[in-house]
Amino acid sequence: MSDIDMKQTRAESNEQRTTTTVGETEEELQSEWSAYEFDGQTKISVSDLDVYYGSDQALRGVSMDIPEKSVTALIGPSGCGKSTFLRCLNRMNDRVSSARVEGSVTLDGEEIYQDGVNLVELRKRVGMVFQAPNPFPKSIRDNIAYGPRKHGDIDTGLLARLLGDANPEEEEDLIQRSLRQAALWEEVSDRLDDNALGLSGGQQQRLCIARCLAVDPEIILMDEPASALDPIATSKIEDLIESLAQEYTVVVVTHNMQQAARISDQTAVFLTGGELVEYDDTDTIFEDPNSQRVEDYITGKFG
Amino acid sequence: MSTERQTQLVSTQSSIGSRATVAIIGLGLVVFAVSWLALFQWIGGETDVLGVGLFRLLGVCLLFIGVGTGACGFAARSGRIAATPRRSAGLLTGVLFGLLGFLVGGLSGAQTFGLGTAGWLVSAAGIGTAAATAAVFPREELGSTIPPSVFVTFVGAVITAGIIDAGWTWTPVDLSVTLIGPVVVPLLTIVASLIGVWSAAKAHSGFGARGRQSGAFLLISLSILGMLSVLVLLVGFIVVRGLDTVLTDAGVGIGSITVLNIQIPWVDVQIPFLMNVTQGLFVDVNGILPAIVGTLWLVIGAVVFAVPLGIGAAIFLTEYSESERFTQLVEIATNGLWSTPSIVFGLFGLTFLLPRISNNHRSLLGGQLVLGFMLLPLVVITSYEAIKAVPDEFRDASAALGVTRWQTIRSVVLPAAMPGIITGIILGVGRIAGETAPLLFVFPRSTFPSSVPNVLGSFEFSLAPPFVTNEALLSGGSALPYQLYASITSGHVPGQTFTVEQFGWGTAFVLLIVVLALYGIGITTRLYFQRKLQHE
Ligand SMILES: Nc1ncnc2c1ncn2[C@@H]1O[C@H](COP(=O)(O)OP(=O)(O)OP(=O)(O)O)[C@@H](O)[C@H]1O
Ligand SMILES: [Mg+2]
Repeated sequence: MSDIDMKQTRAESNEQRTTTTVGETEEELQSEWSAYEFDGQTKISVSDLDVYYGSDQALRGVSMDIPEKSVTALIGPSGCGKSTFLRCLNRMNDRVSSARVEGSVTLDGEEIYQDGVNLVELRKRVGMVFQAPNPFPKSIRDNIAYGPRKHGDIDTGLLARLLGDANPEEEEDLIQRSLRQAALWEEVSDRLDDNALGLSGGQQQRLCIARCLAVDPEIILMDEPASALDPIATSKIEDLIESLAQEYTVVVVTHNMQQAARISDQTAVFLTGGELVEYDDTDTIFEDPNSQRVEDYITGKFG
Repeated sequence: MSTERQTQLVSTQSSIGSRATVAIIGLGLVVFAVSWLALFQWIGGETDVLGVGLFRLLGVCLLFIGVGTGACGFAARSGRIAATPRRSAGLLTGVLFGLLGFLVGGLSGAQTFGLGTAGWLVSAAGIGTAAATAAVFPREELGSTIPPSVFVTFVGAVITAGIIDAGWTWTPVDLSVTLIGPVVVPLLTIVASLIGVWSAAKAHSGFGARGRQSGAFLLISLSILGMLSVLVLLVGFIVVRGLDTVLTDAGVGIGSITVLNIQIPWVDVQIPFLMNVTQGLFVDVNGILPAIVGTLWLVIGAVVFAVPLGIGAAIFLTEYSESERFTQLVEIATNGLWSTPSIVFGLFGLTFLLPRISNNHRSLLGGQLVLGFMLLPLVVITSYEAIKAVPDEFRDASAALGVTRWQTIRSVVLPAAMPGIITGIILGVGRIAGETAPLLFVFPRSTFPSSVPNVLGSFEFSLAPPFVTNEALLSGGSALPYQLYASITSGHVPGQTFTVEQFGWGTAFVLLIVVLALYGIGITTRLYFQRKLQHE
């Protein structure tokens, strides 16, 4: 994509933003970071996102563009709305009955908060890994193949075998590929039929990542994926995240500043009250942040 | 007191004290066990043991226990038994011994000394207060040994002295029951031995937290033992009485069946009671096959009707219902349905179902539906709980993979909830298989049926509505609990082989076996699903 094209995309998304802006003050609030320009194509564009749980507002006018094939870290104190933001990107907030989302989120330029959006397709494209490993009480094989089987991409059932539609080799391939991508293959290749609950916490988390990869998403959302793990398992997950960024757009929530600094290309800082205070290159955020509040937070004076 | 608060890791209890308490506990347990045997009159109260009557011997044992626990208390008080007692034995102990004292005081005041109402009230209140005071105010080692000691010694003395013995009877005024010695004495010795054992166990562990733990543990173990023995007693009784009937004229021989002109040897088991119809021209040993088959079809029909409906309702409530209020409403309705008396279900079947399904005739289908209605609420309740217990993380994980709600329910939620759901079905089936009342109006055809319902062979298909009919489903029959009820109430059974009682016990035994077999099937299924969740 040429530079001109890219500028055009930016211009378009800026235009979109101004048209959906509600008030002037919010526009000003965002001004300190909206200058952030990245070289790369915008994958997700969020503008003026407000989220309410009942009458409590959890996010206030958040706008940010997330470039593709990179790692974006979300940091901020507990309760500032990082998980809420993440869950807006694959509309998992729809599952919380009290949650109300206003604003716009586009995926490759397509609005995901409009009528007629197919949630199944959306979540196939935007995968998610949760804070606590949550493998199904099934075998490792069934865990990985779960998504593709349900989507009908792979079928090794009895009926499929009878009809000659079964594709067990494809399933083997897929399982192996996903497990390799998640750096788990070596550890579990000889016990694919064992129950996944028998794995260690770190292995379970990598299994969850593999399960997510098996659906072949474009974006992977991770909510503190390493918070329940020991340093060694954590560093495995971190390496994994960095390597995933070659092919996928990764958005990761973390409480660990060093982790954010190590693995991410750009960092967004949320502060209490649900506002996005600064969003920039990770280096800039950690070395020379614009906002005093961000600096205080990063240096541990506030938070 | 604080100077004595010295904790020791290794208890250096004097071996004499420890041996004494163990001996008291042992003696108490023996008294407890023997008393139960005496209560069921497996041992007569006058049986000669070591030259004295059994009851008197139990009394003497109680005297030993009573005096022993008291001695332990004093020994602990004077430091001869190592103990870490608390400030008091506690309010609960006080209340219990207060009530016990009230009872003893009242009864002996009114009965032994013939005091009037005012008199026995005064004596009851006086002794009750004294017992409560003695339990609460002294330090724990006295509070939890002296009142028990006095009570156990008192009971021991009364029995040893023969004031209450095997020949004793008492008909309380205003009550139409007569209490007799052979029942009252064992009951008294059971209570007294329990109290003695509890007290001695506390003394053995040196009171305090450990003592309370020992006392509680002993009582709890004795109650589980009691529960098991009730079970064994009940089942044993039925088996002993019933097996005889079931095995009448039974035999095993070598028979053969002919398939395509080839004779295949076959173990030929003959159990007439299980294989014959209840009444018939050529029946020499009257059996209960129609009732067995009837019960099985009833259960199958009820399960087929209620289980899908119940699980469906539970899925709706947990996974789809958005309205909290609606869920609560259904929950209340379900609980109401579950506690509805079963005879009401029968009446409903009679007046609502029978006219609509079988032309006002009693029918198997009617019985199946009525039992199904009874089973339904339990299936809903247990499935609802089981599905709700499936962690939301599974649902989130599945949704995040872009899997639809229904696929999630089918492949993640239901398998995880299956063991719980099946437990509910097992419990429900166990209950409906033994129900008589709801069937009375809708199912029985004759008291002693002469044919077995042939459900599978009775399907008839036609091109005109209703397309399929089944004569066997539309006619009544007999079921095991009903058969039992019918033969006992009618006062006679056909044929000369069995008396009414024998026939009844045989039926009860078979009913027990059928229910246990259904349990067995259920538990195996549950294990299968559990294993799938854990190992695969
Ligand atoms: N399901 C919910 N119902 C009501 N309020 C919620 C819900 N989920 C989150 N909130 C509220 O929204 C706010 C943001 O929560 P969120 O979980 O997004 O924070 P977070 O930044 O992820 O915090 P943490 O770092 O502790 O995970 C909090 O005040 C929280 O109480
Ligand atoms: Mg969070």
